[in-house]
Amino acid sequence: MSDDEMNIDEITSGGGAVRRRGRGFKNGGGPKEVPVSTEATYDRVETTKDSDARAARSVEGWIVLVTNVHEEATEEDVQDKFGEFGEIKNLHLNLDRRTGYVKGYALVEYETMTEAQAAIDGASGTPLLEQVIQCDYAFVRPPPSGPKKGRPARGRSASPSRRR
Amino acid sequence: MATANADFDPFYLSTGHSGKHGHEFLEFEYSHGRLRYANNSNYRNDSLIRKEMWVGPLVVRELKRIVESSEITKEDDSNWPKKNIVGKQELEIRVGNDHIAFETAKIGSLVDIQDSEDPEGLRVFYYLVQDLKCLIFSLISLHFKIKPI
Repeated sequence: MSDDEMNIDEITSGGGAVRRRGRGFKNGGGPKEVPVSTEATYDRVETTKDSDARAARSVEGWIVLVTNVHEEATEEDVQDKFGEFGEIKNLHLNLDRRTGYVKGYALVEYETMTEAQAAIDGASGTPLLEQVIQCDYAFVRPPPSGPKKGRPARGRSASPSRRR
Repeated sequence: MATANADFDPFYLSTGHSGKHGHEFLEFEYSHGRLRYANNSNYRNDSLIRKEMWVGPLVVRELKRIVESSEITKEDDSNWPKKNIVGKQELEIRVGNDHIAFETAKIGSLVDIQDSEDPEGLRVFYYLVQDLKCLIFSLISLHFKIKPI
């Protein structure tokens, strides 16, 4: 029991040894002294069972992630591009903390899945300020049994009725 | 288009900080498609917030892009300020064949970075953590309609 407490496996997918670095490996087996790894209960947004869609609804709508956004894009640019698919309820265009330019992504919220889907279908692969953007749902439904891991016995099932 | 299945992708990310007595902390963790967030600000009523959400492949790709463009895996925490009475900050990332688990003191401001022995490396760490938090906080606030801090 030395490094076994790391909750990631050490077999690389592409082959080759894993390069490890950092003091976090030395102090009592990985940096997990804080409670994320404990089997506490985490709040979720409950997913409805009424469609087979992969996407998951958020509390007030559907969130679309847009990537490869030009660093000089403005909220207005994004608004103009995505407003045509439906009313934008919320827009986050975050900045690079170091440079102050746009970090390269935007998050757009629509009230209905129809609007979100139209934005994903209509804007993905098209240019915004001469850069080709990608769009997809930010959130997906949880897998039936939580994230698959080599870990045996997770000791916790789907807990459907937690969130009211 | 490479839609890497999150179940088999070893990409892992966690970062957080904790304060003096351990019961004031904030952290998040990405693993196999799941993003988790836990926050305990022990100042008034010991309220603990835990949220989890499953994110799509494009979110994962964006997290990786932010990590890779920072070139954090070229850095080394051996000359960074050690965790102390005020608290500590951690960053663990497994991406490709690199696996880092960095640990340092809380960085209050850019002055702390400038006065350190490895300002360049510490700056990379500082801004990467901020950029990651910025994306994750946006995801949380849009998904749950709460303010994460």
